[in-house]
Amino acid sequence: MDFYFGLGQLIGVHTLLGLSAYIVLLTGQVSLAQAAFFAVGAYAAAMLTVLTGWHIVPALGVGSFLGAVTACAVGFPALRVKGLMLVIATLAFGEGVRLLFFNFDYQVAKGDLKVGPLGGEGFRQIRFFPEHGWTTGEVMLFIWVFVGGVMALLWWFDRSRYGAVLRAVGEDELAAQSVGLSLTAVKVSAMTVGGAIAGLGGGLYAHYTTHIEHASFNILMATFAIAYPIVGGLRNVFGTLAAVLFVQAFLVEGLRGLGDWRNLLFGALIVLSMNLRPHGLFGRRGA
Amino acid sequence: MLDFLQTLSDGVLFGATYALIGIGFTLVFGVMHKINMAYAAASIGGAYAGLLVLKALATAPAWMVFLGAFLAGGVLGWVVYAACFHFIPLSSPLAPLMSTVGMLLLIDEVIVHLTAGMPQNYPAMFDDVMLRAGAFTLRGDLLLVFGVSLLCMIGLLALLYRTRLGLATRAVSQQAVAAQLCGIRVARVNALTFVITGLLGGVAGAMIGASVGTLSPLITMPLTVKGLIVTVIGGLGSIPGAIIAGLLVGGLENVFQLYRGVTERDLYVMLLLFAFLVFRPGGLFSRT
Amino acid sequence: MLELRAVSRYFGGVRAVDGLDFTVNQGEIVGLIGPNGSGKSTIVNLVAGLFPLTQGEIRFNQQPLEDIPVHQRLQLGIARTFQNIRLFGQLSVWQNLWVAQNSPEDRSRRGFFSRWLGGQTQVREEIAQLLEFSALGHKQSELAANLSFGEQRRLELARALAARPKLLLLDEPAAGMNAEEIGQLRQRILDLRARGITIVLIEHVMELVMGVTDRIAVLNFGQKIAEGTPAQVQNDPAVKKAYLGGA
Repeated sequence: MDFYFGLGQLIGVHTLLGLSAYIVLLTGQVSLAQAAFFAVGAYAAAMLTVLTGWHIVPALGVGSFLGAVTACAVGFPALRVKGLMLVIATLAFGEGVRLLFFNFDYQVAKGDLKVGPLGGEGFRQIRFFPEHGWTTGEVMLFIWVFVGGVMALLWWFDRSRYGAVLRAVGEDELAAQSVGLSLTAVKVSAMTVGGAIAGLGGGLYAHYTTHIEHASFNILMATFAIAYPIVGGLRNVFGTLAAVLFVQAFLVEGLRGLGDWRNLLFGALIVLSMNLRPHGLFGRRGA
Repeated sequence: MLDFLQTLSDGVLFGATYALIGIGFTLVFGVMHKINMAYAAASIGGAYAGLLVLKALATAPAWMVFLGAFLAGGVLGWVVYAACFHFIPLSSPLAPLMSTVGMLLLIDEVIVHLTAGMPQNYPAMFDDVMLRAGAFTLRGDLLLVFGVSLLCMIGLLALLYRTRLGLATRAVSQQAVAAQLCGIRVARVNALTFVITGLLGGVAGAMIGASVGTLSPLITMPLTVKGLIVTVIGGLGSIPGAIIAGLLVGGLENVFQLYRGVTERDLYVMLLLFAFLVFRPGGLFSRT
Repeated sequence: MLELRAVSRYFGGVRAVDGLDFTVNQGEIVGLIGPNGSGKSTIVNLVAGLFPLTQGEIRFNQQPLEDIPVHQRLQLGIARTFQNIRLFGQLSVWQNLWVAQNSPEDRSRRGFFSRWLGGQTQVREEIAQLLEFSALGHKQSELAANLSFGEQRRLELARALAARPKLLLLDEPAAGMNAEEIGQLRQRILDLRARGITIVLIEHVMELVMGVTDRIAVLNFGQKIAEGTPAQVQNDPAVKKAYLGGA
């Protein structure tokens, strides 16, 4: 049973990762930086619970906030970079953040032990959940409360004017400007919300895996982030969720059949699904 | 001062490989207005495939391995085209990009599995040759890398500017529909662009292996990032830009490493990219 | 209301607009005609703010427009339609109108929260009016990309109106329309003037221009070659030679 709870945790956190890219993709920006915001949230939340003894909920709040701030800071220069260049720029930014964490040491003595992030070795002993007696099932539910909340929020956005505005900008920036929409406000706000979601996901990730390191927040993770909404389609948030389930189910099944080769599956799966359903699992809205 | 010059020159010579990778990215962008994220991975894959020559003939000279890499790169280039661009409607903005990312991961994993994750030794030529001018040294193998890369660049430019295929390629890059109306088979031009860049990539991968001495799948991601940085700094779509930017990044990277060490080196390369994005987003030779 | 003084816009060696003086007074319907390449659309783009001026000045209600970005010009009351329809195809008709409600009145009338995150109920009536004006009520949930050509043109116009403009720049709104549709368009333009909107109409369809405008300016090679009432312009020899067809 624990195995399935663990899988549930993974799916929940990956859904948050995917949703953080979803809202940014709506505005037409392909961001490979979501893993970087995820990392910021992970390290921040973990440092707060481990080094200063905070409770997880406010720690997650701070992680999410810092993810948002970082994303906002990225959002402004991102405006100057169009289309495919943005992909490259965010990719480089993500790698830059990863390298920063690779060089990041901040250890504090706790009793006999030293805890905290230690450069290449990463950040171990993020043990808030075990120390407070949470079961795997409880952690999974905790994660899914947040996933549910974020999905509800994005669903609400989609039905509101903000959601239509995001999609309008994503579809035709010139027309959007001409009807009075500020591209800066729309694109940066989407990036910021995405950063908040990623930061939240990162904080949860750090606590359920109990050990994070720079290598986890690599290009592969950045790819997962955009793969989910692209494979699932941008029609609504359920596309992203479906894609996470689809991909992870394949990878889990692949583990049984192909053992170590399952990572191969992810790449192959993406190539296949893009060939078979280029507009996503649920497709586009019309035409 | 001498250290600086030495480091710079070694870096610039090695940077010729970055230039080739940058050319590969920029050429595909110029012709199809898409980024082939799998390019660097396919290049390294081609280099690995070159090693198969040694499996067939254990005493094969290094240049045969390089030739194998060259050819394998071309084959892989075509495979990437077929998997990511031939069937997917090009008008769909995200699907081709995403599928090349998928290919990048796929190629990476295939390499890891086929080599059980162990780095492979790569043959070199002229690695015992050193040209000296006082205290200044030019490594023979780096000169070879530079020379071979230069030959490839010249070959490519000759192809683009002196052959009909090159003309067709340039036509497609400017106006694909009009080119089609003139009887140019756009799909074939696209596929050939991938094959040609694949050939270049195979050489680049082989040259990297030759100068470093080993090949490891760990280099595909950093190479992808560096190649893209070179492409952006040079200006998306500009071949001369990619060449100059490649040499620049190669040289500066080595200099950063000299003064700040290996762990911080890549951060400075990123900063270089961001500086360009802020001050000159079109790159050195922007194509407007 | 709108003043262009010695306005020039060069694209490299091409002088799209060359030393143009042009004025539009409040409440007028002014036509802008001329052969293709004479600079008509460029003028719309300059007034809307898509490119900077090479030379000269544009003023709207005495205010120079030079550094004002595109989306803010809408706040001042300038709206435009596009020659090649640029609707948000993946959004419904209703949503196309909804996202365009960015005028100062709309902004002050509702709070930030309700304007962005509120539901559709509050603006229902206003959008219903726009839909009625352009006879698109029955298609309100349809995706804009699925509309017929004539319907798309009407939606473009309605979307420009959603911004409550004071000045409306129409860029070849009748292109591709049949006679009946042109008649309806003519009526709509007159209705808009009755509501107090000043209109600049760029067109090739002469029956529309001659029939609905108070005044016409004729361009050729980026310069104004004639100006006057429809009757005056029709009989001007320079205009006939350049555009309407010689004797």
